[in-house]
Amino acid sequence: MKMSKLRTLIHEEGIIFSFSGLISQSLTTFIIKAVQEQLEELIKDSSIQKAIFLIITEQLQNIMSYSSNKHVAVGQVNVSPGSLLLAFDKEKAKYYITSSNEIREEDKEKISQRIDFINSMKKSELRKFSREQLRTAENKHDKGAGVGFVEMAKRSSEVLTYNFEKIDGKSYFHILTYI
Amino acid sequence: MENLIIESTTYTPNINFDAVHGELSIKGKSYPENTFEFYKPVNEWIIEYFESTPNKNINIQLDLEYLNSSSLKAYFDMFDCFEEAQNLGKVIEVKWLYDSEDDITEETGEDFIEDFQGLNIKLVVK
Repeated sequence: MKMSKLRTLIHEEGIIFSFSGLISQSLTTFIIKAVQEQLEELIKDSSIQKAIFLIITEQLQNIMSYSSNKHVAVGQVNVSPGSLLLAFDKEKAKYYITSSNEIREEDKEKISQRIDFINSMKKSELRKFSREQLRTAENKHDKGAGVGFVEMAKRSSEVLTYNFEKIDGKSYFHILTYI
Repeated sequence: MENLIIESTTYTPNINFDAVHGELSIKGKSYPENTFEFYKPVNEWIIEYFESTPNKNINIQLDLEYLNSSSLKAYFDMFDCFEEAQNLGKVIEVKWLYDSEDDITEETGEDFIEDFQGLNIKLVVK
């Protein structure tokens, strides 16, 4: 691919950061740092900056926790294949973060129900619901607290958009969050 | 009881618990992948400390600028321990530090106040 073509595409699509490959904790730290450097110039509002970092962290850690294709790489590091994109939507004049990973077919319904329920709540209800979830062991699993989607919704200016896609017999989950 | 000191990393905070003076301080970012593993020894130290220390007054200072959702869960569990200790006669003061421009950390502090009304939690601008 010609670099000039890539550069034009990135510019036209408002892409600030994109990655597709193996996601790990060290990569999460790296992405947060890299994005922070990019955004310091672009965004003066520190709350928006922070919301972006928090949503990126939740999406990457969701990929690490829920991917149906996670495995252990060299040095006992957990890695899961996935994709993440941070971009600026010129029409809406908003930043968005979207990510994608392979999931187990049987988890589809659980994920849809959870996000639909979160999307049905107002911001004030979400805050209360988040606290209730954090105080109970419900939805707790070995890694996270099962509250990642709630935290994303709290920091987002729109409802969480998601869909599932089947490619070559594998199920993929995509999520899109506007700041 | 020995002090608990854990140096910070890029994704875990600095922990500095002074057993003699009853000063417990946590400062930094918290977004580890295995949150439960990181906070397990911290919460165990806290529980053992509250049970064994003769100190009545315990000051806790939390300066956390960045918390992922599973870390938030860990702090709700920690506040449960604070509340329990207070119910058993300790006098606990929690200072929640935040930057004046950081609405998200301020909001998190307000959530703790709302949920742990029996605890003395003060929001402090850095």
